[in-house]
Amino acid sequence: MATQTATQHLKYDRTLGYAAMDARGFYYPVSLTIRPDGQMFIQGRSHDGDTRGARITVMDYESNYGGDFGSYGSNDGQFTWPTDIAVDSDNNLYVADEYLQRISKFDREVNFVNKWGVKGSGPGQINGPAGLTLDSEDNLYVSDHRNGRIQVFTTDGEFIRAFGSAGDGVGQLNLPWGITVAPGGDLFVADWRNDRIQRFTTEGQFVRTYGESGSGDGQLNRPASVAVDEDGYLYIADWANERVQILDPDGCFVQKIYGEATDSVWAQDYLDSNPDEKGARSQSDLEQYHLLDTDDPHEIASHIEPIFWSPICVELFDDKLFILERNRHRIQVYKKNN
Amino acid sequence: MTIAASRQEIKLMAHLMRRAGFGATIGELEARAAKGYAATVEEMLHPGEAGDIPQDIIRRYHVDQSELRQPFSAAGNWVYRMVTSANPLEERLALFFHGLFATGYTKLNQARALLNQIEMFRRHGFGPFDTLLIELSKDPAMLLWLDNNENHNGHINENYGRELLELFSMGIGNYSEDDIKEASRAFTGWTLGNVDYMAMRAMKDSIWPYSRIAWHFNFDEGDHDEGEKTFLGETGNFNGEDIVKIICKQDAAAQFICTRLFQFFAADEVTENGQVCIDEMKRSYFESNYEIRTVLRTLFNSSYFKSDEARYARVKGPVELVVGAVRTAGSYTKPTLGVDDVAQQAFFMGQGLLNPPTVEGWHEGDEWIDSGALVERVNFVANELSNPDQPGVRTIINRLTENNESGVTAEQLVDDCLEAMGSLDVSRDTLNVLHDHVAGIEKATDDKNELGSRIAELLGLIGASREYQLA
Repeated sequence: MATQTATQHLKYDRTLGYAAMDARGFYYPVSLTIRPDGQMFIQGRSHDGDTRGARITVMDYESNYGGDFGSYGSNDGQFTWPTDIAVDSDNNLYVADEYLQRISKFDREVNFVNKWGVKGSGPGQINGPAGLTLDSEDNLYVSDHRNGRIQVFTTDGEFIRAFGSAGDGVGQLNLPWGITVAPGGDLFVADWRNDRIQRFTTEGQFVRTYGESGSGDGQLNRPASVAVDEDGYLYIADWANERVQILDPDGCFVQKIYGEATDSVWAQDYLDSNPDEKGARSQSDLEQYHLLDTDDPHEIASHIEPIFWSPICVELFDDKLFILERNRHRIQVYKKNN
Repeated sequence: MTIAASRQEIKLMAHLMRRAGFGATIGELEARAAKGYAATVEEMLHPGEAGDIPQDIIRRYHVDQSELRQPFSAAGNWVYRMVTSANPLEERLALFFHGLFATGYTKLNQARALLNQIEMFRRHGFGPFDTLLIELSKDPAMLLWLDNNENHNGHINENYGRELLELFSMGIGNYSEDDIKEASRAFTGWTLGNVDYMAMRAMKDSIWPYSRIAWHFNFDEGDHDEGEKTFLGETGNFNGEDIVKIICKQDAAAQFICTRLFQFFAADEVTENGQVCIDEMKRSYFESNYEIRTVLRTLFNSSYFKSDEARYARVKGPVELVVGAVRTAGSYTKPTLGVDDVAQQAFFMGQGLLNPPTVEGWHEGDEWIDSGALVERVNFVANELSNPDQPGVRTIINRLTENNESGVTAEQLVDDCLEAMGSLDVSRDTLNVLHDHVAGIEKATDDKNELGSRIAELLGLIGASREYQLA
């Protein structure tokens, strides 16, 4: 299943993290961001029935655990339905919450600073903040998904401008999710329910689209997140196709990856502490495609542990792509072939 | 030209929708009655697009309903389906088989497998009974629930073989202990992929390292007993499929499944007239090669089902009650916090969706009602239906306030509310209570807000009535 092209753009490197509601690990993670010093902040969403995992886990590429902060709730610094986390040039953190309709700001020491957001559709009001990103001047972009638009704020929450409208026409958005400002300066939006990536200038002028509905090469099914590198290559979390696709700067298909997770350091620690499970696991074939009677990617991913299941966030850092899987509570890391 | 349905036709349609669905408001009843009773039955027996909330939308917001590992997450997902599906009979039938082939979370710790089983009921529930039983015998949740993973060639585990005969297809008195053993031999080798690892994780409730891996059927040929077996008087080298086909030929199987369907859809108690209906269902069973759709068609079109004897002759199950109230209220039609709680409310009333107490399922009928459960039932329904902010309640209020420009009497308003909620019939005592509650309403009818508030109260009060507990 892990089909690769002859000349691979990305190559599997390692897996990070594992499922945990407290201490090391994360639980239904929805977003990650990486500071220049390599510290990763992983936003756990948890769920209504068990809210312990609603927190932010700190770790690095070498699996060093840096603690956690935040909790479930509606008080300052808490989250109910968090969607995205982003970091600015001063290492302040921003968390979007689509239930509480607000953006929360934390300083570099992860102390709560302030919050803003009022539900509505007027300028500066929001309805379901789903994605966050900052440009080189620290303007904060928010995918205001139920309003079908992008809004821009200062890092203190002052409204600057909004653009886009709900719909499926050119430049319109249908429940947009992840967003990123590319090194070249344009804004890329995962136009989730239109099955495409849309590109705008940061002033809101439409540039072009990438992808169309489907499961073929270059086609998308509910893209949740997009990252763009210095060369203009797009890395797309093709969420409902349970894969990540890479497109070149012209939008041509380059590679698709389905995941090939191995035991992370934290996973190995768990299994070493539970030899009975480790033994049974070592005797198992975790890729029993031949026993499945379905072509539904979501259902297949539920049965085959190494492959992506709900790849929800992609993040570039140095020569690596970090792919966050919500249903597997882990990160798969791929390296660029230079 | 559309001819308006008669009051009797509306009443009959309301009865059908309470049984084959989760009830219906007057608007839906009028639309269905205009199509005709038999046509409505056929439509419900041939479900089309469910039109429920798309799973991608649910999965985006309810992260746990994407993974479906935990019971209330999966139950919430099913609640969304039951509340928003255009095919209520499909869901009612899945609920019926869920109670009949009761498989529970307690032992499995894997709700996805249970919800996959429910989806299997949707796929095969209307089809031949033998196909359904074969799929049930391959169902990963059932295999682990009744220990068929421990049923080996030369070392049989009789649990699944016994329950298949006793609880799922024929009932005690229609087979011998030897038949159980021979059936069990035929099901050796029917197991899961990576069974040892999956069973260990289920037992330990381990989600580590990367959460659960969904289960899939595996036929382990090397562990299957290929020897000759004698089962219910027939001899051969039978496998599990052969066993099911022999079962379904038996009169006892026809009596069993037709009676259980009758009790779920027609009446808790089987009277003499009811047995006549069951006999008709049995004939349909054999004439159609055991097709459940045909059996249900016979039931819904029978004179018994349409008779006064069958009306309000069943106590609503908790899920049926809760879903019916939510559908009427128009709540939970899009992802929001709280859907898990709807499933939990049914649990507090005695029916934990995806978590039946034992393999025998729930004790239904009058046993649904005890004093604690009754309080839960009344409170939940009254809260849902008396909230004027709920879209369905608002629709009823708008309909009734538009129709009652001025001077509506208490009697008329009560009648209108009963009609709006699904052409409900209530006793004289209940009527008196309802009339007393809105006595003097004539003076309030010029104030639409006041009238709307009183209507909402009345809807809640009707939901709290004895009659609303019955279907």
